[in-house]
Amino acid sequence: MTDQTRPPFRLNNSELWTGVLGIALGVFVIRSGLKLKLGTINDPGSGFMLFYIGLLMCAFAVTIILASVTEGGPTFGSRWEGASWGKPGAIIVILSAYAFALEPLGFLISTIPLMLLLLRVIDPVRWTLAIPLAVLAPVGVWWVLKRGLLIQLPSGMFEIG
Amino acid sequence: MDVLVNVMHGFGVALQPVNILYCFIGVFIGTLVGVLPGIGPISAMSLLLPVTLSGTPESGIIMMAGIYYGSMYGGSTTSILVNIPGEAASVVTCIDGHQMAKQGRAGPALGISALGSFIAGTFALVMLMLVAPSLASVAIAFGPAEYASLMVLGLVVLTFLTQGSMAKALLMACIGIVLGLIGLDSITAQPRLTFGRIELIDGIGLVPVVMGLFGLGEVLLNTEQVIKRDIINAKITQLLPNKEDWKASAGPIGRGTILGFFLGILPGGGAVVASFASYALEKRLSKHPERFGHGAIEGVAGPEAANNAAAGGAFIPLMTLGIPPNVVMALLLGAFVIHGLQPGPLLITQNPGLFWGIVASMYIGNLMLLVLNLPLIGMWVKLLKLPYNVLFPLIILFTIIGVYCSSNNVFDVYVMIGFGVIGYFMRKFGYEPAPLVLAFVLGPLLENNLRKSLILSQGNLMTFIERPISAACLLLAVVLLIAPLLPALRRKREMVALDEGA
Repeated sequence: MTDQTRPPFRLNNSELWTGVLGIALGVFVIRSGLKLKLGTINDPGSGFMLFYIGLLMCAFAVTIILASVTEGGPTFGSRWEGASWGKPGAIIVILSAYAFALEPLGFLISTIPLMLLLLRVIDPVRWTLAIPLAVLAPVGVWWVLKRGLLIQLPSGMFEIG
Repeated sequence: MDVLVNVMHGFGVALQPVNILYCFIGVFIGTLVGVLPGIGPISAMSLLLPVTLSGTPESGIIMMAGIYYGSMYGGSTTSILVNIPGEAASVVTCIDGHQMAKQGRAGPALGISALGSFIAGTFALVMLMLVAPSLASVAIAFGPAEYASLMVLGLVVLTFLTQGSMAKALLMACIGIVLGLIGLDSITAQPRLTFGRIELIDGIGLVPVVMGLFGLGEVLLNTEQVIKRDIINAKITQLLPNKEDWKASAGPIGRGTILGFFLGILPGGGAVVASFASYALEKRLSKHPERFGHGAIEGVAGPEAANNAAAGGAFIPLMTLGIPPNVVMALLLGAFVIHGLQPGPLLITQNPGLFWGIVASMYIGNLMLLVLNLPLIGMWVKLLKLPYNVLFPLIILFTIIGVYCSSNNVFDVYVMIGFGVIGYFMRKFGYEPAPLVLAFVLGPLLENNLRKSLILSQGNLMTFIERPISAACLLLAVVLLIAPLLPALRRKREMVALDEGA
């Protein structure tokens, strides 16, 4: 490719940054391998595989970076073009909150609000359907697991469930 | 004669009422997840992996296998009626299947799809019965070097066939290996990458990783798009194809079956590759290739037969070598391991009831699928009308439950949510999760065999070259790694590259 046809180098090229992330992960894996000891070729240690996989990760990440520089690549913004990124973002926030609440509050108390939020916030379902579904689905699952399969779901500090 | 005796023994196992029930549950759930877009066999199998614990190994694995081949059948219904593939292997069926439906020929399209799938599935089973025992007897001679090289080949083939950049796919495979190595070193018992967390001592579970990457990741991706459904509302009549339909479809079904079966055996291959390859083959062989894309029945019959034959063929490397050729088989390997069984060359001799029972159950399952797919089409169509905003919270709920039940540990729910977010960003940036998952499963096995072969050969790397099977696998892997650098081969790869994951 000549300089005239080569796409301009842009810092917001998403391919470039995923490659950089790949190198960072590779370096971390190499360091972990070295810490665990490589051993010798006729008696490989715990870090042997990690070390060489880390090297390969760096090599592949460099290839991705080189391709992003020579061939260009989509920007971060263009990855979400025409997509409503708010919806997956909201699900991630709701699920993160749920992850924190699950153990202390227990399955039933945390899952009913989770379902209600997912049904009403993301792509709203009418209340007359959302409320019964948000209550009946977790309670039904809890009942089947507890009575049918004898699986205990977290009951939390209130010991409900 | 031996085969006949074994098959009879297998039917003895498969026809036990509890196994028939599990087989029915498996094919029913498989058809259901195949029909529903946005949830595939991988999510369903990982969700139900803990359920297999409650029964015998036979019943659990019969159910898991049923989900896999059931989803291959069910996926075509959505493709034909809604123009959305229910699962990845049915992508090609959309092209001509939906066109046929628009022309008022949904019945024959669904009929030929179900009947072609049945023929191909049955052929694959007969071949599985004939090939697996002889391959298993050869595989007994495999040493750690052969296994290590075969796993390298499997990973390279999958990365070769994955959509987009091969460097990205290889990076994903490396990350998968690293994730698989988390926990105690199987040889020195030294903890690796556990960050002092006791939950990581046994490593990360397969279920939270798969459910996160494929289940939750897929949901996150689907919610940001408006899924348009072009459902065929006309009453579906005359499901059985007529004489002309059969005449046009016989060749494609035959070729698709053979092609699919052999592509299914290849490590890294599978139903998705088979369906694309069959479509390309039929279009090339057709006297009227211009009909393809406008409702050619051959474009439905060939790929549907191919993906079902591949689903059957994929059992061969798992059952005979203990190596899963794709992510679905990796989950099946998980089901074996949960029950303390190790698939491989000794499985057939040490657990004949299990092996032949699974094979026989597939015959029964294929028959059940014909019953489910032809008369119950109306029910599946109704199900397709369930809006995604009602469906996705339920998928998330079942994902959480499935992950929690697999280990009774809330930590795994955190891992699943984490991998769900990672899976979403991976897809957004063009990184496929399938190589990561297969490498996650194969990573510890690869390391173990690599280290064993180095210890046994006293550090002689030539051991991988001096052994013919190992050398052949490595040579093929090198060729595939170099291939994308050559423009002609690069174009070929782009033609067959697919999204294996959905």
